[in-house]
Amino acid sequence: MFNFLKRHRELLIVSVLLLWPLISFLTTGHRGRAPNFVDRTVLFASTPVQSLLTWGVDGVSDAVSGYVALRGSHEEALECRTELSQSQAELNALKEMQAENLRLKAMLNYSEESVDQEIVARVIGLNPSPQYLSIRINRGEDDGVRTGMPVVTPDGAVGQIVRAVGASADVMLLTDPSSRVGGLLQRTRVRSTVLGTGEGRRLAIDLVRREDDARDGDIVVTAGSDGIFPRGVRIGTLRTPERPAVGMFMKATLEPSVDFSRVEEVLVIPVTMGIPSAAMGKGTP
Amino acid sequence: MRFLAISALAVLLLSLESVLVKSFGFEVTRIDVGLALVVFAALRLTTIEGAFSAFFVGYVLDVFTGRPTGLYPALAMLVFLLVRAAALLVDGRSRVSYLGFTAAATVLHALLAVFFTWLTSRNGSGHVQSLSGVPLQVVLTMLAGLAMWPLLKRLDSGERPEPGVLR
Repeated sequence: MFNFLKRHRELLIVSVLLLWPLISFLTTGHRGRAPNFVDRTVLFASTPVQSLLTWGVDGVSDAVSGYVALRGSHEEALECRTELSQSQAELNALKEMQAENLRLKAMLNYSEESVDQEIVARVIGLNPSPQYLSIRINRGEDDGVRTGMPVVTPDGAVGQIVRAVGASADVMLLTDPSSRVGGLLQRTRVRSTVLGTGEGRRLAIDLVRREDDARDGDIVVTAGSDGIFPRGVRIGTLRTPERPAVGMFMKATLEPSVDFSRVEEVLVIPVTMGIPSAAMGKGTP
Repeated sequence: MRFLAISALAVLLLSLESVLVKSFGFEVTRIDVGLALVVFAALRLTTIEGAFSAFFVGYVLDVFTGRPTGLYPALAMLVFLLVRAAALLVDGRSRVSYLGFTAAATVLHALLAVFFTWLTSRNGSGHVQSLSGVPLQVVLTMLAGLAMWPLLKRLDSGERPEPGVLR
């Protein structure tokens, strides 16, 4: 027996190294495993390297773009001043609406769970495999980030935390083929499901009935019905809705409001399955 | 010793790749630096050392995906064995042939990855979109292999492995 193992040592080792992960993949499929000791060690070693490299690359990029930006900065400053005035006017109007909203809620005796402060995180890397579209951020379990939390930018929804370890977390982007998010057409309040297509700048929309009112350019926001995102976060703009001759649902694509290849900083909303983490207790995944 | 060097290189290069891909603003195109290491391991290391190196490179890539499933270690081992089999017919010791093997391995790896993810996921067709980035991926991986060549040469013992897939 020992001689047999010794004689076929190479064949046995190679077979185990090939078949063990293959069988593991075929049995667990696309779900993925919880991070084990080796995973955590690899992430512990790679996260500082990624942070350092991101800092270096961004520093050089900022220095170059800062120099280029100096040219024509006067015109830009004037444009910014105009935009600021417009934004100020919009902000005043929104404050009025917020005050009115609070009054109406008080009148209706409406109570709402308070949501914790969002966690600001920096994107330190893109996943090197094109089959799973995700990004890595520099905030993890130590900062209160947990699997399942939604991730957004001021432009709109980005994705969902799929793994959080000590000082980093991975975010599955909305464009990933496994991504599903409940959507709502802002203008007509028609519900839908937004699907990832595996492409960087296109999402698909499903379950919008062909008789529903949906037009090119309609804004789609999160419906808050998927247990991931809060209601009203912008997802994208509806493009080329088509009503096929047969079938119940229309076909349309969605242009995401976030450019996923250029996202630098994100906000993690400390809500898991629609429940604020404060209500669940800190440290509860 | 060379296994440790390749493992450390894999962590470092994949970290670098993830940052560069973000900085370049790539959407579905990647640089398969890990594959360049697997091809080197298949061509220049002994069976045991090469197999462990290839497995670990695949493992690190799997961890970097955010949802480790075991797919990439298995693919790295498949590529390792196929490159080793192909090296029986074509000598892979020169820089040019190494780059040729790296290009072929990139295409093969992408096709196998799409096939297996299509096999096991609900929205299998979505993964096919990643193939649109393969031509650029091949070019970038070859360039990465070219840049890594002087470093990899230092890991080469200079001994010619005996012929055979499991030599």
